[in-house]
Amino acid sequence: MRSMGLITLCALILAGIALLGCGSEVVTQEVVREVEVVVTATPDPNAPSQAAGQTSQASPPTSGQQPPASTAQPDAPSPTPPPAAQAPASATDVSDNVYQLGISADLTTTNYWSYLGPDGTVWNLYVLGGTKPSLYGYSAQRFDWVPSLASDFPTPLTEETVGGETLWTTEVPLKQGVKWSDGNDVTAEDFAFTAHTVAELQLPGNWPSIVDPDYFDHAEALDPYRLKIYFKQKPGLARWQFGQAFMPIFSKAYWEPIVEEAKQSGDIIEQQKALFAHVPENEPTAGGYGFDKWERGAFAEKERNPGYYFADSVVKQYANGAYVESKPGAYEFMAYGEPGGDTSLEYRVGPNADSAIYSIYGSQDATVLALKKGDIDFMLNPLGLSRGLQEQLEGEDGLTVIENASDGMRYLGFNFRKQPMESKAFRQAVATLIDKEFITSTVLQGVAIPIYTTVPEGNQAWYNSDVPLIGQGLSRGERIAQAMQLLKDAGFTWETEPRVSEDGRFVEQAGEGLRMPNGQPMPEMDILAPSPGYDPLRSTFAIWIERWLNEVGIPVRADLTGFNLIVDKVFTNQEFDMWILGWALSPYPDYLESFFHSRHSGLEGHNAGGYNNPEYDRLADELLAETDLESARQKVFEMQAFLAEDLPYVPLFDTPLVEAYRSDRIGYPYTTSWGGLQNAAGMTELVLFK
Amino acid sequence: MTGYLVRRAGQMALTLFLIVTLTFFLVQAQPGDYATFYALNPDIPAEVREQIKASFGLDKPLWQQYLVHMKNTFTGNFGVSFGHFPRPVMEVIGERLPRTVVLFLSATAVSFYVGFFLGKAIAWRRGGVLEYAATISGATLFTAFTPAFALMMIWIFAFKLGWLPIGKFLDPLIWRGAEVSANHIFSYMLLTAGAFVVFAFLALLATRKIGRFGTGRVPVLLIGLGAVAIPIAWAFTGVGYLALDILRHMILPIATLTLISFAGTMLLTRNSMLETMREDYVMAARAKGLPEKVVRDRHAARNALLPVITSLVYSLIFAIDGSVIIEGVFSWPGTGLTLLEAVRSEDLPLVMGAMVFIGLFSLLAHVIVDVLYVYLDPRIRYH
Repeated sequence: MRSMGLITLCALILAGIALLGCGSEVVTQEVVREVEVVVTATPDPNAPSQAAGQTSQASPPTSGQQPPASTAQPDAPSPTPPPAAQAPASATDVSDNVYQLGISADLTTTNYWSYLGPDGTVWNLYVLGGTKPSLYGYSAQRFDWVPSLASDFPTPLTEETVGGETLWTTEVPLKQGVKWSDGNDVTAEDFAFTAHTVAELQLPGNWPSIVDPDYFDHAEALDPYRLKIYFKQKPGLARWQFGQAFMPIFSKAYWEPIVEEAKQSGDIIEQQKALFAHVPENEPTAGGYGFDKWERGAFAEKERNPGYYFADSVVKQYANGAYVESKPGAYEFMAYGEPGGDTSLEYRVGPNADSAIYSIYGSQDATVLALKKGDIDFMLNPLGLSRGLQEQLEGEDGLTVIENASDGMRYLGFNFRKQPMESKAFRQAVATLIDKEFITSTVLQGVAIPIYTTVPEGNQAWYNSDVPLIGQGLSRGERIAQAMQLLKDAGFTWETEPRVSEDGRFVEQAGEGLRMPNGQPMPEMDILAPSPGYDPLRSTFAIWIERWLNEVGIPVRADLTGFNLIVDKVFTNQEFDMWILGWALSPYPDYLESFFHSRHSGLEGHNAGGYNNPEYDRLADELLAETDLESARQKVFEMQAFLAEDLPYVPLFDTPLVEAYRSDRIGYPYTTSWGGLQNAAGMTELVLFK
Repeated sequence: MTGYLVRRAGQMALTLFLIVTLTFFLVQAQPGDYATFYALNPDIPAEVREQIKASFGLDKPLWQQYLVHMKNTFTGNFGVSFGHFPRPVMEVIGERLPRTVVLFLSATAVSFYVGFFLGKAIAWRRGGVLEYAATISGATLFTAFTPAFALMMIWIFAFKLGWLPIGKFLDPLIWRGAEVSANHIFSYMLLTAGAFVVFAFLALLATRKIGRFGTGRVPVLLIGLGAVAIPIAWAFTGVGYLALDILRHMILPIATLTLISFAGTMLLTRNSMLETMREDYVMAARAKGLPEKVVRDRHAARNALLPVITSLVYSLIFAIDGSVIIEGVFSWPGTGLTLLEAVRSEDLPLVMGAMVFIGLFSLLAHVIVDVLYVYLDPRIRYH
């Protein structure tokens, strides 16, 4: 047996030596490959201005489930100045730079149709995003609506009779010279093909919110660079400017035969499956990068598009609101006022990396270790870093930790189908009793930020700070007194009223025998909330809300349970009293209509609480129909104020998004961005190398 | 024996049916369904979610869904994964299985070898320092909290010392230009291991038949030569550096798994050896004047092997479902993580497919162990 062991050992040593021989081959092959990359990444200087589209695209889909708020979050967001990083003299003057990013889950598809359909995960978004052009997009930081493939703003919507039908139309001029990576021009035909494919195949998932079948009729290429879109009814900003105008555009030359083949597959479901099942190979890109390789479970790689049209274009944003984007010899665009005065942001578009590699890690701990070790430059995560990991990384050599306002909101919702939740006085009393500042600052040690409106503060363009701040700044005694007064005014009565200590700091005797205005005893109610294992922040809020409501005699119980169970009870079956969950929110707040319009209060609708206020419905309808940006803003402000008082939701808190990157290797033109760098998919087109 | 195997096949089919049924209803008992995934996306209205449910067949009554899944299971068509839509379940499992099998088979083999070797040694030299050291360290590691221990291993050997990679099964910088996929390499590695085992078995068989070469060092040398031939052959394939990269990434998880689990085999071997050593034939062997090494390895250890082999076969078979913890900590995306993710997201077809595989292999393991008993212990006969 021992000789067997010795022989095995000798064999292993020999095997090791032989494999080391293989290892030397590795080095050789690496060098060869790097040279190849440099060669392919350098564009032909004699080639005409080559192209591709902007990275902006339709509002990114969320990962589906509301992410659990991490156990520890930092203090209020504060802009963090980026460490200085030098951009190369030109985006085309790059060495073999590889931008390495860490992600926590694998892709599920490389088919962009499918990614916006049944495979709408945030991980697919991170990797596939930015490879398709769109007509318009958001500007950096300010989220202004700016042209991308379009060369200017569209013509105003006009009513037109087409074939006996009254339609609303708009025309969009396109930039000339933008090309797919296969050399074809990006034209109006590509847009029309994409929109018609979505409509004809009735693509599911996020697609109907991008190409709404109730609005979109058809699109027509008046010439290769002039597009005309026909709508069945007048589309508001949500349907047109912040909807279809953000639609990712697919290459007709590449996809048309595949779509035609899919259409031969039987019924509509089979046709969709056939389209989603296609695995693209060498699909042309018009973004800064094209998808290159996917080693399932390990990594994905995007390769720089040498003909990217927007490479080297310069964006300037001024403090007075003006926006200027230009590329010498190609185009210049100005909007939102005359440029002048202080510049609030200026950067040059890359891409500066030859490729972006997305390594997949099985846990956040492993990803953080990889970041610390230098295996990756930045980790993409929709939740950001927890407080523990943030503390680990702060002060670490070569790493910079940044904080940004997040795009989320956690709330307490009411079931309006039941008493007493349908009572405005009751909801206001509940809101008064919840001391958000106490929980966020004292209990949670500043890891969350109290909020009072349904639009996150980080979304500056649409956030209304001037809403009723019910309960803010009150002591416990004052809260209880105010809540009792609200309830009494509405006809609620107590057998024994709650008694507060003389200093007003605690309740000596809890209220008992609370009765509703109809004389019935107050029913026992549950607050469904995620368990501490899933989200300690929301469960903490639930426990304190239970305590404060019990003190005044409102018999509620915090039911801390599984996320899926809450979603099932609230959204699928609507069997609940109150619930605490959260939303990840898009920049354009048309969700104010989805969440609170009475038309969405049916089973599985997003207005799960059944809020039904005709006055609010009118406002929401007006918002949907609004076509003017400034008027829409006024409406959104009005809606926020309305909701902050009527309280179908009690907005509870938000958490800042904490991220870290290897500042000894890379930098970004800016790091202050709503939703963090992950919201811009790691800024692959702007990242700078040192 | 044939009759016994037929009866066992019938029992297996019935057990598999029960496993599949139980799995289906357990997954269905969870609140919500796969469409819950879309419930919190304000951009996806209720009617679109209904459309998604329809395309997944989730709008059908439970009994209809059950019948569809049973039919799929017993026709070998597990349908399409919801989470990897529209990829077939078999394709997803087929993609993850080789990675798990390569890692966990290797770890099980190493762990078994270490455990058996140590168990044999400490049973033979009872009361020595080795026994105390091996037993205490083995028991301590056996009870270690796996995620913490695995992270500690990564922290020491990958992060602080920098000797080994931090998780994953490959280095993207090495693989980005590779012409072959990792699964090809994993499959070739499995083929290589299989070929080596067959070669070793044939070498032993052949030398035994020839007679005078059947003993001594000839078979060992042959096997050693076979082992040396493997890396040389790989070096000529042009993708040896990729296999080497995977091997490098396997070191840490294998070491962790071995350290955590070798004590089980070691203590089992020790106990079995202690019982065997009291047998008369061991005393007879000693009385004949045979060297201690021969008595230990050929008389005691071989007879003590039966329960250890049983344990090994079960471990090997369960290697297909991997370990969620190890796969998670080491970012090794195998069947364990796939199954966990499928259960979490209620990807019913994938859960069913994975569970059928695990169930089937477990049942097969029992049969293999039963059959193996007959060959290992001629006293056992099935009627």
